[in-house]
Amino acid sequence: MQVTGYVKALEKVDFSISERETIGIVGESGCGKSTLGKTLVKIHEPTAGSIIYFDPNGKSYDITNGLTKEVRSTFRKDVQMIFQNPYDSLDPRMTIRDTILEPIQTHKLFKNLKDQDRYVRELLSKVGLDPDYGKRYPHEFSGGQRQRIAIARSISVNPRLLICDEPTSALDVSVQSQIINLLKQIQREHNMAFIFISHNLDVVYHMSDRILVMYLGNIVESAPSRAIFDNPTHPYTQALMSAIPNWNPRERKLGTVKLEGEPPSPINPPTGCPFHPRCEFRMDICARAKPEPTEISSGHFCACHLRDLTIDSSRSAG
Amino acid sequence: MTDTRRILTVENLKTYFKTPNGIVKAVDGISFHLDKGETLALVGESGCGKSVTAQSILGLIKVPPAKLTGSVVFKGQELVGLSDDKYRDIRGMQISMIFQEPMSAFDPLYTIGQQLMEIAKVHMPWSYQEAKQRIIDSLRLVHIPEPEKRYSEYPHEMSGGMLQRIMIAMALLPSPELIIADEPTTALDVTIQAQVLNLMQELQDSYNGSMIFITHDLGIVAEIADRVHVMYAGKIVEKASVIDLFENPLHPYTKGLLTSRVKREYKKEGKDLPYIKGHVPKASEFSTGCRFHSRCTYATETCKTTMPPEIETEKGHRVACFLFERDDLVENFANAKP
Repeated sequence: MQVTGYVKALEKVDFSISERETIGIVGESGCGKSTLGKTLVKIHEPTAGSIIYFDPNGKSYDITNGLTKEVRSTFRKDVQMIFQNPYDSLDPRMTIRDTILEPIQTHKLFKNLKDQDRYVRELLSKVGLDPDYGKRYPHEFSGGQRQRIAIARSISVNPRLLICDEPTSALDVSVQSQIINLLKQIQREHNMAFIFISHNLDVVYHMSDRILVMYLGNIVESAPSRAIFDNPTHPYTQALMSAIPNWNPRERKLGTVKLEGEPPSPINPPTGCPFHPRCEFRMDICARAKPEPTEISSGHFCACHLRDLTIDSSRSAG
Repeated sequence: MTDTRRILTVENLKTYFKTPNGIVKAVDGISFHLDKGETLALVGESGCGKSVTAQSILGLIKVPPAKLTGSVVFKGQELVGLSDDKYRDIRGMQISMIFQEPMSAFDPLYTIGQQLMEIAKVHMPWSYQEAKQRIIDSLRLVHIPEPEKRYSEYPHEMSGGMLQRIMIAMALLPSPELIIADEPTTALDVTIQAQVLNLMQELQDSYNGSMIFITHDLGIVAEIADRVHVMYAGKIVEKASVIDLFENPLHPYTKGLLTSRVKREYKKEGKDLPYIKGHVPKASEFSTGCRFHSRCTYATETCKTTMPPEIETEKGHRVACFLFERDDLVENFANAKP
């Protein structure tokens, strides 16, 4: 086989998440948001960098190069994931009860089978399903119900971090709201931290405390969610905002979206700033040097040379 | 006298499928019309019958086994019951379709040029050289960079957005009078979606063509439609101009759809998102009454047993709901917060 190149799905991403916090990750397909999620649950190994995990007692472990025996079971119990397509993420040949039981048995949560059964029924009613549905198979359920089953499975071991990768994008609008409400309710009750990955900015805003905007494997802007919406600073974030339809036929936005072209291939990413080929404000420096994230206000970071210029000029002016 | 601006009239269209679990009434007696240059949006959630409506108009439903009744008149010609041969002169030529999944709508084994050439060969009187030139021009029209090079490339060498633009070029190649677009941007990213919608609108304006735009996304409807028909469980429940639909929605289902948008206020106020309770009834579970009654907060006994008639509340605004039969109820409903 001929190797034509290596995909840099994730280039450089720095962030941390603490208990009860929700970090939202937005970006378009191929920007690396799912790769990030999968790297965090150790489905993919990072090429470089480090991932540090803190166990419930506050002890830290470097899990970059795999999970040691010592930490494996706690980490797997602590970090769970919900996937985008509930038609693919449930085994069609397992009953709902067996699907939900799998993580419970792996982590040996119960000695008593009766308690275990009661717990599965509790989980089903917690996610808004009839407890008797446990005997059924996935094909008997709609997309929304399947996503509820996937949620029941992921919270069964009481994780401290739940990674939700586009949990509502395969669902109809009216069902989407129900799943979002359910996730919020579960987060409140169980004090979980969420990493919420989506391309839908409205949904990410609703869920998140902080938002990271990704483009071609890089975080181009990160800030508290209000700041991202009130003061989008990176040209890519601004373009993304301008592309959301505003549901008002008297104020149509079509034709005002300035973003031309498409994201380049991650096999052969552009030099300098990953966004510069599509950026309307590009300067000479953008093709040469990759901008570093600059803090433009408390907790609001933006990786753009325009920012450096305005900061420099205000400094020299002052 | 026939109206020369009228391009399509659909009258009491019914498409039924026989399944082991009984008859599925995918489209159950819908009527609408379309004028030249107009964009009509058919909106609804999955399974409401919007795609089957499109396929019925295009003669893509195999009859039998399916049962198709009613009337579809395109430029004065009845399409229901038309022979396959005659349909072929209309489909792809005067009416063309843009599908949802650009990745699966193209044959991976043929180049883009070969696939577009097929349309030209079947429908157009052009010579090979002329056809090739026109195809390259049409690719340029949909902003494909280096169209001469792309002409001999395969679908896997393109991105989703590019393929969708090529499909638009393909649909426009014979200059059709009616384009049916079935969720053409659902598989695309938001910034690419905006580009594709822009392009479709631009081209439609220059051709003065008509379009039926099928989508579940009311955000897109607000951007492109002239008129909107809301579908639910095989029926059209509300017909309105796009302004009326957003500013004065009447049917409880339409109201429900409009409130399902994730607004920024909900987070500030710490509120749960509003949603429509219940679920769409299965086609085998339809009652004789209004199909929305089990989810409707305003449902009465009548709603459970009798199908509501289509009521015209003002010119061009029609709703299939008993609430609008009596004026006093209309007042109450209009003032009620969803």
